Amino acid sequence: MASPTGTLADTQHWLQRAILDPARPEPQAVGAVLTDSATLSAHQRLDIYRRGYRLRLLETMRGLHPGLRALLGPELFDDFALDYLDARPSHSYTLFHLDARFAEHLAAHRPDRGLPTARREGWVDVLVDLARYERAFTEVHDSPGPASVPFLRVLRCCAPVHAYHAAVLHGLPTEPPVPGPPVHLALSRRDYAVVTSELEPDAYRLLCERFPERHVPLPSAFPE
Amino acid sequence: MSGGRCTTAETPPATTALPASDLGFGVGLRTPHLRHVLTHWPPVDWFEIISENFTDSGGFPRHALDRIAERYPVVMHGVSLSIGSTDPLDFDYLRRLRRLADDIGARWISDHICWTGVAGLNTHDLLPVPFTEEALAHMVHRVRAVQDFLQRPLVLENPSSYVEFTHSEMSEWEFVSRLATESGCGLLLDVNNVYVSSVNHGFDPEQYVRALPHERVVQIHLAGHTHLGTHVIDTHDQPVADPVWRLYRLATSLTGPVATLLEWDDHIPAFPELLAELDKARRHSAAPGRTHARVSCG
Repeated sequence: MASPTGTLADTQHWLQRAILDPARPEPQAVGAVLTDSATLSAHQRLDIYRRGYRLRLLETMRGLHPGLRALLGPELFDDFALDYLDARPSHSYTLFHLDARFAEHLAAHRPDRGLPTARREGWVDVLVDLARYERAFTEVHDSPGPASVPFLRVLRCCAPVHAYHAAVLHGLPTEPPVPGPPVHLALSRRDYAVVTSELEPDAYRLLCERFPERHVPLPSAFPE
Repeated sequence: MSGGRCTTAETPPATTALPASDLGFGVGLRTPHLRHVLTHWPPVDWFEIISENFTDSGGFPRHALDRIAERYPVVMHGVSLSIGSTDPLDFDYLRRLRRLADDIGARWISDHICWTGVAGLNTHDLLPVPFTEEALAHMVHRVRAVQDFLQRPLVLENPSSYVEFTHSEMSEWEFVSRLATESGCGLLLDVNNVYVSSVNHGFDPEQYVRALPHERVVQIHLAGHTHLGTHVIDTHDQPVADPVWRLYRLATSLTGPVATLLEWDDHIPAFPELLAELDKARRHSAAPGRTHARVSCG
């Protein structure tokens, strides 16, 4: 990465790339823009920002996805989350939207994505559905829902990911969710708490038709 | 780059009359403490919120804030204004800030002398600007635009930093001082950040504090940091360090009574421990005036 030519805009675009790019910039380029301190080289000083950027957003992702982190284990979760953050850096003024496309990213990068749907691994479907559920949970928890409609999200999952998520939140022992018959879920907010209900398939379809904007679609790799 | 060189001869717009700033001693309102505050109505003079945590909130956090704002003065402190960025200003974001400020009767809106991203991205970090005439003119122009839009003065904080630019043309304290006087904004003097940057960059923190236009300081921040041997990180995860208390005493002797705010964002203690740390600020303040917490009445 070449060093900037000198304008404020050039400097900012260079520094942002130097922080976000997984590959460290060349020391010569860094030294042309940033100074050494008495104790750290310019490169070491830049690394403070590179580490801080990833750690800050990783902490947010961990907080948004406690269930997925428990299911994957801390190290694998961090690997997946960092891969997502590198691929889809934030465009929002708020961290509330940070994981908005995490499930979509997981689905697009699943290792068996080249196989027909019927031959894909069920455990990957569980990971994607748990990520979708946890995103919906966050939205229902704190989003400003329209006053005239109770805040609602409806989604179909391949396993009871909601029960696993609830057990993790409450620190209860639980087994990983196993793919099986579809589970239809409705998340709503009552007295500032998220309530998740299992729905009959007909009720799920009815809610999807009545409130299409409240339906959490499957990622494009998953035909509904 | 926007705007040309601004000078102190220009009169700041009418919307930049600084707010009355002697709110007393407050703490940052954080999610783990919301229920405690709603239950105990603790003896704190005022609260500061992170603006972006509430601009899109409709759940319990926003419900709690609305109740708290009925009883305490509230100040909004943002992290995404990106006043130093060369990207266009985000007027949708500013509209949300203004709406929240109107809803809760915020005493003022603050953010940082920094940028958070370009090309539409947000790093969610407070990135440093080079201290150049170009950056100064750019930020003066944007502060004025933001103040006009918000119809209230903007208060800007000196961030902590870990790098310096080879092409900076002035000291940080000169940059901050000129930004305040030329744009008409208020200053949020974070004495912990002054200390952190002074260690990282090797300058005299007292010289920094003495050089500022003290009449423009509306608020002071206190927080803890972590010394890693080769550098200091602004971690907000422990009590205020002794050198920072000394800077605070110097600052308040120069500014007179201004709102003082304790920030604690990681390893957040129970609320009574936070109050005990805030009491230290009352004892260390060199400014005459209010030293006792307000008593909540209802």
